[in-house]
Amino acid sequence: MQEPIFSLLDVERTYELRGRGWFHRASRQLKALDGVRLDLQRGDTLALVGESGSGKSTLIRLMLGLEPASDGRVLYGQRDLSQLDAEERKRFAREVAFIYQNARGSMNPRMRIEDILAEPIRLHGLCAESALPERVAALLDRVGLPTGLLQRFPSELSGGQIRRVAIARALAAEPQVIMADESVAGLDVSVQAQVLNLLRDLCREAGITLVFITHDLGVASYLCEKIAVLYLGRIVEQGPTDAILNTPRHPYTRALLQAFPRFDMPLKASLSGEIPSPVDLPKGCRFAGRCPQAQAACRETDPVLTALEAGRQVACLFPVAAA
Amino acid sequence: MDCAVAMNLEAAAMPESQEPLLEVCDLSLRRGQAVVLDGVNLALHPGETLGLIGESGAGKSTLALALIGLLRAPEVQLAGSMRFRGTELTRLREADYRRLRGNKIGLIFQDATAALNPCFTVGEQIAEPLKRHLGLSKWDRRERAAELMHSVGIPEPRLRLDAYPHELSGGMQQRVMIAIALACNPELLLADEPTSALDVTIQAQIMELILDRVRALNSSAIFVLHDLALGAQVCDRIAVMYAGQIVEEGPSDRVLASPLHPYTRGLKSCVVELGSRTLVPIPGQVPPLNAMPAGCRFAPRCPKAKAICGEQRPQAEIRDGRQVACWFID
Repeated sequence: MQEPIFSLLDVERTYELRGRGWFHRASRQLKALDGVRLDLQRGDTLALVGESGSGKSTLIRLMLGLEPASDGRVLYGQRDLSQLDAEERKRFAREVAFIYQNARGSMNPRMRIEDILAEPIRLHGLCAESALPERVAALLDRVGLPTGLLQRFPSELSGGQIRRVAIARALAAEPQVIMADESVAGLDVSVQAQVLNLLRDLCREAGITLVFITHDLGVASYLCEKIAVLYLGRIVEQGPTDAILNTPRHPYTRALLQAFPRFDMPLKASLSGEIPSPVDLPKGCRFAGRCPQAQAACRETDPVLTALEAGRQVACLFPVAAA
Repeated sequence: MDCAVAMNLEAAAMPESQEPLLEVCDLSLRRGQAVVLDGVNLALHPGETLGLIGESGAGKSTLALALIGLLRAPEVQLAGSMRFRGTELTRLREADYRRLRGNKIGLIFQDATAALNPCFTVGEQIAEPLKRHLGLSKWDRRERAAELMHSVGIPEPRLRLDAYPHELSGGMQQRVMIAIALACNPELLLADEPTSALDVTIQAQIMELILDRVRALNSSAIFVLHDLALGAQVCDRIAVMYAGQIVEEGPSDRVLASPLHPYTRGLKSCVVELGSRTLVPIPGQVPPLNAMPAGCRFAPRCPKAKAICGEQRPQAEIRDGRQVACWFID
């Protein structure tokens, strides 16, 4: 078994909320992530799935070292992310690229596409200044955009084009890992299909490890070989994509699958209520309040993520029977 | 297709030959030189739900805005007719439109946060159409607003009446907007992407709620959607729009299960389903409004296009209970 490229060891992330006014100073805690364990192998493609507020984006921010873990450790290779020195930090930034949710917002509106793509290459000193134009043009070509766009500004590009530029920028420093936050949300189906195909091909060809946040299980299943389902800061189920789609074992995963719009099934609101606030979490299972099959024990005991079968883990006291 | 053909098609589909609630005949909308909507024909019967689907720039939202009189002369030029319960809408005065909007025609927008006024409580906003259209007293308005909030599944409505929009979650704000849209028991509900900003679980809840309320009031609804599978689940009829034209329209089970127009087929092959293995994107993109092809507008992207497609616009034909505008229908 090879060494994982990323390891999360019981990672916790809490935010202190200050009480209102003089008499309410007692601070409360918002637990965005609680006891997350995750191993990512080189070449893995992993989708983080869950509703808004489940902790997907916080998890990715921690893995990028943009925020420290309140407890637990985030390891990249063998090194703890919080202990990298300046040089290691720079190498990490080259090896791990991030594609932001708001592609347009992540680009300087006053820079031309050419300069946006050249910046990471210059920063990491990856090629001579004379070879730069050629390299930038090759990047643009790799994501299927005409080189005529090089002199344009981000505001002159369409939604699909700007996502491709964001992907090209992520590829600029030849990363080993790409993390992407909802990179196809809000696109038309045909443009979404183009961007998904592009991402899939790039990761396969270059053997890039991909961590992809999405709330769309269809997108997750198309792009990734593994899925981790998050609920209120915990991974409630993870495993190979096909296994999760065919035999979801956690009631939440099953509910997400049932709510997914399909041509051959009638509309079904599988879950009532909304994801609760991560402040003042209930005792017992966090999903018990919305779970259609919760029992008395669920409100008492907090289930831990346990292995059910090879590569498959579920955090539920009464997992859904495998069909 | 002219109106006579549309009427024949409707008569064939509806043997009881009920008067349509909404009838759009050869509607065109120009913005300066650009033809944004071109020869749109539609008929919606009481109790029916219609989905408008297509890519951005297809004219779905423009059609919806034109129907409710939010896009009109002198900003744009309308030609053709739109009749709602026999009233011609294209020449309706603003004052008369105001009597329809929020009353006989309810509206739900995509972004509830932007659509709700941040300076008023949700109770006041739900009560507004009750005051304007029904003239209820202050006390009655408050009672009715609480009932409406209860009917759209907002827990503890009496406590939430005095909440401001920002105090509610996205799903709850969308429920408030549905309550406002349904306040006067509208005959037609127009919903422009009502759930695209929400999680799938909440989307299913909200869609189920809208359908449930629409059926309870025996109203009709028009949904602007980009999710084809969702369209199949919630709409009786589907109109597929491309570059300002309806290319295929008919019962949703037929249009989406066995599409006849190459564009509908192309759209369907782009949809990510659970466990999809391949996606085949439609090549190219929607042409800009100032450079529309002379013949079929989809021809430059169409895998089946021949010489005639580039020269002449195909007229809608009736095939298998639907209207399809294509020169080469199988």
